[in-house]
Amino acid sequence: MSEKGEVDLTGAKQNTGVWLVKVPKYLAQQWAKATGRGEVGKLRICKKGNLGKAEVSFTLNEELTVIEGIEDKTVSAPREHPFTMQTVGGQTLAVFTENSSDKIALEGVVVQRAECRPAVSESYMRLKRLQIEESSKPVRLSQQLQSPVTNNYKPVANHTYNLEYDRRKKEEGKRARADKQQVLDMLFSAFEKHQYYNIKDLVDITKQPVLFLRRIYLKEILRDIGIYNVKGTHKNTWELKPEYRHYQGEEKTDE
Amino acid sequence: MATRNHSPGGPMFTVDYINKRDNDVGYVYYPEAEKPTTMTSLGSSTSSGTEYTVRVPKNTSKKYNIMAFNSGDKVNCSAWTQARMERDMSARRIYGEEESQDGAAGSEFGKKQREEARRKKYGIVTREFKVEDQPWILKVNGKAGKRFKGQKKGGVTENASYYIFTQCPDGAFEAFPVHGWYNFTPLAKHRTLTAEEAEEEWGRRNKVVNHFSIMLQRRFREQERGPDDEDEGEKSGKKKKKGGGRGGDLRIHDLEEDLEMSSDDSDSSMGDDGESKAKAKKDKGKGKGKKKKKKGGEHEALEDSDDGDYEGLEVDYMSDESSSDEEPEKGQPSKAEEHPKGIDEASESEEESEEEKPNEEETKEEEEEEEGKKTPVQAEKKKKKDSSGESESSDDSDIEGETASALFMKKRTPPKRGGGRGSAGSSRTGSRPGTPSIDSAATSNTLRAAASKLEQGKRPTPGPGTDSPAAKRLKMEPSSQSPAPSGKSTPQPPSGKSTPSSSDVQLTEEAVRRYLIRKPMTTKDLLKKFQTKRTGLSSEQTVNVLAQILKRLNPERKNVNDKMHFYLTE
Repeated sequence: MSEKGEVDLTGAKQNTGVWLVKVPKYLAQQWAKATGRGEVGKLRICKKGNLGKAEVSFTLNEELTVIEGIEDKTVSAPREHPFTMQTVGGQTLAVFTENSSDKIALEGVVVQRAECRPAVSESYMRLKRLQIEESSKPVRLSQQLQSPVTNNYKPVANHTYNLEYDRRKKEEGKRARADKQQVLDMLFSAFEKHQYYNIKDLVDITKQPVLFLRRIYLKEILRDIGIYNVKGTHKNTWELKPEYRHYQGEEKTDE
Repeated sequence: MATRNHSPGGPMFTVDYINKRDNDVGYVYYPEAEKPTTMTSLGSSTSSGTEYTVRVPKNTSKKYNIMAFNSGDKVNCSAWTQARMERDMSARRIYGEEESQDGAAGSEFGKKQREEARRKKYGIVTREFKVEDQPWILKVNGKAGKRFKGQKKGGVTENASYYIFTQCPDGAFEAFPVHGWYNFTPLAKHRTLTAEEAEEEWGRRNKVVNHFSIMLQRRFREQERGPDDEDEGEKSGKKKKKGGGRGGDLRIHDLEEDLEMSSDDSDSSMGDDGESKAKAKKDKGKGKGKKKKKKGGEHEALEDSDDGDYEGLEVDYMSDESSSDEEPEKGQPSKAEEHPKGIDEASESEEESEEEKPNEEETKEEEEEEEGKKTPVQAEKKKKKDSSGESESSDDSDIEGETASALFMKKRTPPKRGGGRGSAGSSRTGSRPGTPSIDSAATSNTLRAAASKLEQGKRPTPGPGTDSPAAKRLKMEPSSQSPAPSGKSTPQPPSGKSTPSSSDVQLTEEAVRRYLIRKPMTTKDLLKKFQTKRTGLSSEQTVNVLAQILKRLNPERKNVNDKMHFYLTE
């Protein structure tokens, strides 16, 4: 357990300061399209602004300004984005990372919060308009079918189903009764896997014919080696007699 | 010679190297930690701004998350020496389904499919258990340090993205998207009450004088709970416990009662009782209601005293301040019918008829109720009394013969007992006066009382031991006792008689002889000693074997309170 939960505290110890910046969705999307080393733009920090405070502004790279909307409408995203700086307040915000191998590391502490706002411009308005159009489209759409659906005639009995049924009947022919030992073997191996079985499932497993006659046969065999219990769960299930059982967690003798 | 170097940088800064020998002062001037990057063009137009490149790395394997602490917690990450963080998977068992292993006993063929089909039919939609959304548990500075729980904050990445900007050594910024936001809150290291317990204590706040004892008792309960859980078959016929358990853990109501009342289902009733007792730890028993109802119904006709008797009765399990008086009796009558019947028949004794036994119980209960009325209405006192009252047959036998864990069941009525079992009325009345001294802290008294009771065996002691209201003293004693009789087999030190009650108590002649030598017992009590869960025998077998043993032992009989008791003299 040494490695798994251990948090790498180097970032905290060095008191690495990071910025937490809230970025609009479209900008994040554009950033995801960045190529090469991932450069997306430039950040400019001015010490002396209008108010004597630091002014931070982000300029998006030229090639990333193209936003493609639906139906091939392309809009140009604004390039200038001033940042609004905010204080962290009393809150302590730390940043931790999780590796693909589940290693956790503390990267640092947030020292500055900022919001990235687009500079209001013509291009921004167009972008917003595009977004509104896209989002106002209804999710569901009614469409008129060109041609009526013609391939669902209702058969009396499905042709394929019929074939399958016939095949099954043939396959399940009357098994010879002499197979008793085989059936027993099959039953035991089945009971090795699960303790309780439904009669239907047993019939299925042993491939005994479902006919009344045969089921009685199977039932006889079952009565020999198993017991029938109304378990309290609504199904009536069969299980092996105690002396035949050998389950883990049950100290029973072997058959 | 001094050399002057001018860096080829932009107009914004100059670098001057001046040899010290010149006695000049040299400045090295770097604006804002800015360094030339490969991609930046220095020389922005504004006067004092600097430009940095922003990069968004493409394929990082690391996911960035925010760990938010409250300002009031004054968390200083740099002060941490060591930290461990893991996902809190405790919700998994709520969501996950129990899987019986294939091939294991009890598995069914096709069970999973059937379960799934059933869920679909009823429209049960279970939310998936997503590991990603589980809270974090952060432990700082090892075992003695702080613990935090970090819950994921939803909606963070829906409309806007958060990015973490870190500055690289080369001056550029790198932006990483924030994957999740977790709010970390400190976890209390001290023990707290659960919601149900808190509710209950709240209801008693006006009556409880010593609030410090609340957590004390809770700690005792937890200690007991440890060993107790293992041996289920708590014989202590304390319905109280069961009622008490309703406060804390699972509540078994109707089904249990139905089972108990059904004459043929003694096993399950015993089993259920056992379980509920094992779970039941609350001594401030709540919820006895239903038992009471039944009992009231049965014995209405016989009682002389009337309405006032049922004043304290609880009808609903949620009622607080309920006296636990009637509970145990209810259990007893129902049991009484089945077991003594069997034993008596088997042993061909022409002793009491079966009616006697229920009647016995009824009279007992009547007395109980009356006494309950008489005693001042103090929740605990009443409870104690009643518990003491009813417990006679159950408690006594339980305490004496039973496992030490049974000993720890709360509500062991303190002192009073004195009386051996059986003599319900006499011992009760005798001991009643002794009880009123119990105060609120006295629930832990019961431990002590139980201990002293064991010590004294049958001697009627008005329980001096319980008059030690000081929580401290209680703490000392029970805690000293509790480790000792932990688990199943260690008997109470003072008592010489406690059986090595373990979960597999054997129904032997020797055991029965021991019980009977100690004090007179009814068949019912004997049966209680050898609960099916412990001996591994079915109830029929138990009855048969016990009958045979009794035949062999041929104990002496005496009628106490119209109840036939067996006893042996050495």
